[in-house]
Amino acid sequence: MRKIYAGLAWIIAGGVVVQAAAIAFAFGGVLNRVSNGDVVDKALLESGGAGGSGELGFWIHGIVGGVVIPLIAVALLVVSFFVRVRGAKLWAAITLGLVSLQVTLGVSITDVPYLGLIHGANALAIVLAAVIAALRMRRTPSRTRAEEATSDAVAA
Amino acid sequence: MPSRRELLRGVAIGVAVTTALGAGALAWSSTLLGEYSVMAMGEGHSGDGYAGHDGHAEHGTSGADPSAASGSTGAVNVNEVDVTSLTADPERPADVRVELVARQDTVDVPGGRAIEGYTVNGTSPGPELRARQGDLVEVTFVNESVTDGATLHWHGIDVPNAADGVAGITQDAVPVGGRHVYRFEATDAGTYWYHSHQVSHEQVEGGLLGAIVIEPASPTDAAADLEATALLHVYGGQHTLNGRVSDEHVDAAPGATVRVRVINTDQGTAAVWSAAPFRVLATDGHDVNEPTDVDGQRLLIPAGGRADVAVQAPPEGDAVRLHVGGARSILIGDPEASAPPTPQPAETLDLLAYGTPTPLSFDPASADRSFDYVIARRFGLIDGRPGNFWTINGRMFPDVPMFHVREGDVVVMRIVNDSGDVHPMHLHGHHVVVLSRDGDAASGSPWWVDSLDLHPGESYEIAFVADNPGIWSDHCHTLAHAVDGLVAHLMYEGVSTPFTINGAAGNRPE
Repeated sequence: MRKIYAGLAWIIAGGVVVQAAAIAFAFGGVLNRVSNGDVVDKALLESGGAGGSGELGFWIHGIVGGVVIPLIAVALLVVSFFVRVRGAKLWAAITLGLVSLQVTLGVSITDVPYLGLIHGANALAIVLAAVIAALRMRRTPSRTRAEEATSDAVAA
Repeated sequence: MPSRRELLRGVAIGVAVTTALGAGALAWSSTLLGEYSVMAMGEGHSGDGYAGHDGHAEHGTSGADPSAASGSTGAVNVNEVDVTSLTADPERPADVRVELVARQDTVDVPGGRAIEGYTVNGTSPGPELRARQGDLVEVTFVNESVTDGATLHWHGIDVPNAADGVAGITQDAVPVGGRHVYRFEATDAGTYWYHSHQVSHEQVEGGLLGAIVIEPASPTDAAADLEATALLHVYGGQHTLNGRVSDEHVDAAPGATVRVRVINTDQGTAAVWSAAPFRVLATDGHDVNEPTDVDGQRLLIPAGGRADVAVQAPPEGDAVRLHVGGARSILIGDPEASAPPTPQPAETLDLLAYGTPTPLSFDPASADRSFDYVIARRFGLIDGRPGNFWTINGRMFPDVPMFHVREGDVVVMRIVNDSGDVHPMHLHGHHVVVLSRDGDAASGSPWWVDSLDLHPGESYEIAFVADNPGIWSDHCHTLAHAVDGLVAHLMYEGVSTPFTINGAAGNRPE
């Protein structure tokens, strides 16, 4: 369980890196289109294709940020209940909370662009929370192992 | 060997997980729609809950009509009228007769690259249809190769319900090899378009569409010397004007007035502007009363909406550039001349205060029904599919309200956008007049629309007369939003439909 917990936490941290890369790729595509004389307007945004060669970046950012990371964050919280390491549940909950905030910010950026400032900073907070959660599996000595030892001693 | 305590814990966890999974599966399966009729939608909050002080409840008790409650229960009774019987006069011979053949095909986009999409009579956009006000139009629609089936919806024309072309509500999607005849009277002169209303988010984007223009009964009514159609569509990321990735030129004598019929067939708002003044003659097929010059402002046309714009040709040897939809423009004037592009003005023409007021043909103050249509968004499941979906009055599809009306009712609706996106709301079969926006009353010409953009946080009050019996869709024309639940219906008392969605006919209107 500790390995699964740590693995999920590392995937979330890695996912955020993918997100940063994908959105930079996508906006590169938009700027490339515009500098080639194309026009990006609402009609193009709504029918897809605004990203030009970076269009895949928008798609990745949407799927990884809107589906993959939230699902893994939920899984991390579920797994945390089976890992007897101090702080496991707390850091899983913090990670999930930050991810929920991130998705909410993401879908509200069009309406309130200033939220983008928080969206970018919060991404780093998610990385931090996920890494702390993952590292806790290494540093803290397991209570589980101590309990197992006790019961083994009794059985023997 | 595990201790009794550990065994107990194991069993408890097992029971908890099984219960959670079972409850989850049950909750998930309860969202599956299967085959359904729109008549079953909105049960439990049928107008009453959304009607104001003078709404449905009071109306229902005001008369002794025994069928008064039939509309709200959705039950079939002997007094019910089938949507298929709501037609134009079947005895009247057609004045305009057209055959339109739809194909799933490669669309040739002159000036750009071809895309896989849909054609009508071999091209996309399909042929521009022309009728004169009062004509009876008869269109035979043939589906040659559109595998999902297809229909034709007459966007903005207040056709009889049987001709509305919504798969699963007014007809079955026309299968490959099938045909369907649409008949309607061209009552209101103006600019309209036709498009498929079966899997519409794919088929409209893919090009199963075309323009239709209804000319005034007497040519003297025309407020222009020349006219041009500007149908905007994005094919595979390419902005086109009348199907071509290029600008157009209208050869006009100095001083001549050109009426440009701009049709926004895209999924988002289109901007229209020019360095020279222009006038907005009509919105969505309804004339603006005494339009004035628009200078230094842009006109915004919602997805699905149309606007007729008048531009005066400049003196000899010169041309005016009218930007239509951001990427394309029309040059008007001397065929040898050009005009440089102009940056888009930041200021938007406010149609709420454009033109001169004139009395309406009905009194919205004495409304028989008043409804709320509040758009928001939340996470959930629709048809077993998880997502961040649209809600109407706090409810998710198919649990959205059904707006019950009786023929002759004056209806007032408050439409509110509590979401972060723009929603071009389109009501079938009717034109609505805008009464106010965010509490500011309309102060210009009556602003009649069938497609109305609601920006985030905006609230509109609109009114219309329920004068066209049937079952009418009232949905967002950013068609992917309709797929994600932004669709409700206007239901006339005593009208029923035999058609279903997701059944054997494969009807998927959105």
